[in-house]
Amino acid sequence: MSSQLQVELRGREGPLLEVTDLHTHFKTARGLVRSVDGVSFTLDRGAALGIVGESGSGKTVLSRSIMGLLPKRDTVKSGSVVFEGQELIDMSLRQRQRIWGKEMSMIFQDPMTSLNPVMRVGKQIGEGLRMHLGMSKADARATALKLLQDVRIPSPDRRLDQYSFELSGGMRQRVMIALAMSCGPTLMFADEPTTALDVTVQAQILDLLDEQRRERNMSLILVTHDLGVVAGRTDEIAVMYGGKLVEKAPTAELFANMKMPYTEALLNSIPKLADPSHTRLNVIPGRPPDLVNPPKGCRFAPRCPYARERCQEEEPPLIPTAEDPGHVYACWYPVGSPEYHETRARRQAEAATLTEAEVAA
Amino acid sequence: MTMVVADVGAPAPIETVPARPQRRRRRGRITLWLAAAWLGFVAVSAIGANFLPYIKHSCSQYSNPKQCSTHIKGDLLKIEKPPAWAWFSNPEKQIGKGPERTGWFGTDRNGYDLFSRSMFGARNSLLIGALSITFGLVLGTILGMISGYYRGWADRIIEVVTNILLAFPALLLAIFIVTFSDKPNSTSSAGDTRSITPIIIALSILAVPPLTRLVRANTIMYAQREFVIAARSIGARNRRILVREILPNIVPTLLSFALTGLALLLVAEGALAALGLSVEAPLPTWGRMISSGQERLRSGIWWPSLMPAMVMFLTILAINLLGDILAERFNTREVIA
Repeated sequence: MSSQLQVELRGREGPLLEVTDLHTHFKTARGLVRSVDGVSFTLDRGAALGIVGESGSGKTVLSRSIMGLLPKRDTVKSGSVVFEGQELIDMSLRQRQRIWGKEMSMIFQDPMTSLNPVMRVGKQIGEGLRMHLGMSKADARATALKLLQDVRIPSPDRRLDQYSFELSGGMRQRVMIALAMSCGPTLMFADEPTTALDVTVQAQILDLLDEQRRERNMSLILVTHDLGVVAGRTDEIAVMYGGKLVEKAPTAELFANMKMPYTEALLNSIPKLADPSHTRLNVIPGRPPDLVNPPKGCRFAPRCPYARERCQEEEPPLIPTAEDPGHVYACWYPVGSPEYHETRARRQAEAATLTEAEVAA
Repeated sequence: MTMVVADVGAPAPIETVPARPQRRRRRGRITLWLAAAWLGFVAVSAIGANFLPYIKHSCSQYSNPKQCSTHIKGDLLKIEKPPAWAWFSNPEKQIGKGPERTGWFGTDRNGYDLFSRSMFGARNSLLIGALSITFGLVLGTILGMISGYYRGWADRIIEVVTNILLAFPALLLAIFIVTFSDKPNSTSSAGDTRSITPIIIALSILAVPPLTRLVRANTIMYAQREFVIAARSIGARNRRILVREILPNIVPTLLSFALTGLALLLVAEGALAALGLSVEAPLPTWGRMISSGQERLRSGIWWPSLMPAMVMFLTILAINLLGDILAERFNTREVIA
């Protein structure tokens, strides 16, 4: 008993989650796909971290490998994931199942497919409660009702006996959140929780997540491709590109002082309301790197307007900025460096002559 | 409709779009009820043949009814006359020309009323079919779910065995199994059960491979669905996921397929009977009745063979129709969900 308490006390100190040099590779017919290639970060208790990146940057694989949800077959994992002082990487499935739901849980992108279509909502939420907390049927049902009230589903007592396909998309995602929170996890992953929902519902769901996180003192890892989603709702933002972390900073610091041209490009690609109509959308040219044969140097170099020779040859390490040790980035010529300004000025001049030539023609 | 065409520029009439599925559904309902009514009738007849006004023996070809009292399994069969409302099995009604054309279905060479006998035959045929498909379902579901969910070596072994069984000519396989499982030293005291068991074993084994494949494919599909990952992410164990998350999703598909499978197995029993490999006399099954009446088809005595064939045909048709309707229903539900 005392040793157990000790373990618990030891667990209460330090960060909740410590990921060190995590690699997740998949064996495919084409070769080894390096979906997550050396990611390290820490997450404090009750903190919210946003992971941002475009499709195929490895953000979903990262969250699933931390949780250990990936199939064992054809997956190569290395590195270390320490959660509450426990190493998760080499944990057996049985042990992980004890943690899932109770300690960490996940919300998925598409609430249409993440609920079982042939099980009533109340029963689905109750499953975890009965499994982990050993509740009776009646207790589980009462708790499920309470959870549905917490996620503010209208007339929750009626919803308990409905099937997921009888609910709207927003309500399904609320049910999913209730399901994920049911056993009081300390860490919750939300994998693009609002991508399948329309914009007005998106804000509601994100606010709900934020509120529940504060109320229950959960940590949250919010995975998204939309910088706007994480902007006001997370303490820190990590930007992923090609399976690597390329920049990580406290949210305000990142928006005020971004270093990575990729982060800048992501931000620029958000359409602005102030723009006149028919303004061309800013896109990042090219496509995400092939994770079987990633570029030798900086993985973003082939698409980066500021890339130089060194970027093609040498891979930039993740280094902290001079002003804020919590702000790290991986770039040889970050935003604000003399080389950056030089390239930028040259490109602007080029663009100007191009339009002049057009006018002349 | 022509008026709509003339009305150029007007928005398309919206009400014509849903009109069609509604009509289809109504037609489906009539076939559904007809099929269900026939199956209900056959099922009630099969279960309650002893209590229904079906005569167990007709002696219309004898002038003296006492002449024809027959023993089956040591019981003296009573010569019964059905009540007036059970006109379909009245043996005294002459229907057409010919020595055995009495009663609506006629009688066979032994004087059995064919309608009554078809209903007693339904008992054995349906019992064989239902038990075989049930065994097939249970085994196919277990094997299919194991191979589709756990994959790995279990999947490989099950797949190889399934492929071998599927590559074998089905009828040949059934003949082998019936022949080998039929013990030569059997006595007549254990007669009934002994002769039904090898056929059920054979037909079950025929049913397992396709069902295994169906379940495996569905399991693979559902195992990758997000709700299964979601269940895993709250800590559900494999067995729980299989039984509570995946199985309920497969059951509708399985049921509609099982009905088609039942129809196929009934036909397969008929084929075995034609080869003389079905149950032994005097136990009737549809297949056995058809094959034993066959030899007299040439001499113009068609009813001993074709009347049970008709009953079998209608039953299989009804089962197939029901299976189709079920499949359609579950598909549409899938689209809505």
